Amino acid sequence: MSVSGKITRRLNLVGSAPPDEPAPGGAQRLGELDWVILMSRAQAGDKVAYRRLLDEITPYIRWRAGKAFSVEGDREDVVQETLLTVHAIRNTYDPGRPFGPWLVAIANRRVVDGLRRQGRRRARETELEEEHEQIAHLSAASPGEAGDAQLLRQAVSSLPPAQQQAVQLLKLGQMSLKEASAASGMTIASLKVATHRAIKSLRRALKGES
Amino acid sequence: MITTPEVIDALVAQARPVRRLRHPVLRVAAWLLFAAVILTLIGANHGLRADLALRLQQPVFVIGVGAALLTAVLAAIAAFMLSLPDRSRAWLMLPLPSLLAWIGTMGYGCLSQWVRFDPGSELPGETLRCLSTLVFASLPLFLIMMVMLRHAALIRPGPVAAAVGLSVAAVSSTAMSLFHDFDASVMILAWNLGAAALVFAGIGLFAGKVLAWLAPMSLLRRRV
Repeated sequence: MSVSGKITRRLNLVGSAPPDEPAPGGAQRLGELDWVILMSRAQAGDKVAYRRLLDEITPYIRWRAGKAFSVEGDREDVVQETLLTVHAIRNTYDPGRPFGPWLVAIANRRVVDGLRRQGRRRARETELEEEHEQIAHLSAASPGEAGDAQLLRQAVSSLPPAQQQAVQLLKLGQMSLKEASAASGMTIASLKVATHRAIKSLRRALKGES
Repeated sequence: MITTPEVIDALVAQARPVRRLRHPVLRVAAWLLFAAVILTLIGANHGLRADLALRLQQPVFVIGVGAALLTAVLAAIAAFMLSLPDRSRAWLMLPLPSLLAWIGTMGYGCLSQWVRFDPGSELPGETLRCLSTLVFASLPLFLIMMVMLRHAALIRPGPVAAAVGLSVAAVSSTAMSLFHDFDASVMILAWNLGAAALVFAGIGLFAGKVLAWLAPMSLLRRRV
């Protein structure tokens, strides 16, 4: 079965009928039962069952997050936070109840948190304009700033490889997103996310130094 | 950037057996038992109010205390239910009828006893004892419930905090009614409705933070 087919099947399970009512489809009932059994075993410490459960619920969570977030990085953040929450409060799941609503409530909560975070981020950030880059260029050219340039190079080298590459291509190499994407093999969306995170880390690192 | 398969690997590696939470009703019963112990201890230390037998013959007093107790129980049930991801938010409505009855009797008591208010009759010492009853009744109950519901910080901290606040406020108000004999309307208003509102607002303001602190957030924090 394809991933989209699986997702549709799982979603049908979310609003499933009580156990004593006849199931609309035997396969659907079986799928819900699978997750209940897997989570029940995971609660008992069965790592194989736990891995299978997490692997199976991830496409649904990704689909749910994809409805709210178009940027891949943001979407994956929500997916990962949902998985972490499932892990942190897996003791609250009662195997006598359906698994779908439990998972949906957690995923929805993390999506809402993600949207709030995105709203806050957008409210305090502004797009870089041409004059900002010129000012940065002028200040870097002054002799007194040589030490800062050294610090910046050190901070860049401490970033994860993907973020380092994004900063070097887009900011230091001044490539366009398309050129950087062609040069690195990364998608434009991942480049944007990597750059955003790199700038955040650099800001934090340089603030810590000063 | 850490990938989702890497997160799954890490979670699976940390998967240890966990003890499932007991049924919410059992957990509510445990908390109520703790509340009963606290009230008994305060009662043993302070003694019941002198005119309790007389007051128990007054329907408004009995209905008021009964409604406060019922509010405490129903709000506790609501808090424990709301703390579970797959339970409806409508549980927050459960204590509303008894809350309205409780507030109604307080208002009636204030109006009917207004004429008996004598500004010179309230002693500062008794006021302090009232405050200590409030603190000793509400603080341990609040902390215990917060620990029992710490997982709620990751799901719906606001509604759970509201239900916790209401439940604890109702218990402390009951304690006040049973152990302190203030009949003047201003004191009733201040210590019943006012104290309940203060505890409720205070817990409502800080519960989210307390829950976040107590919650199993270490995994989430480690990622940030």
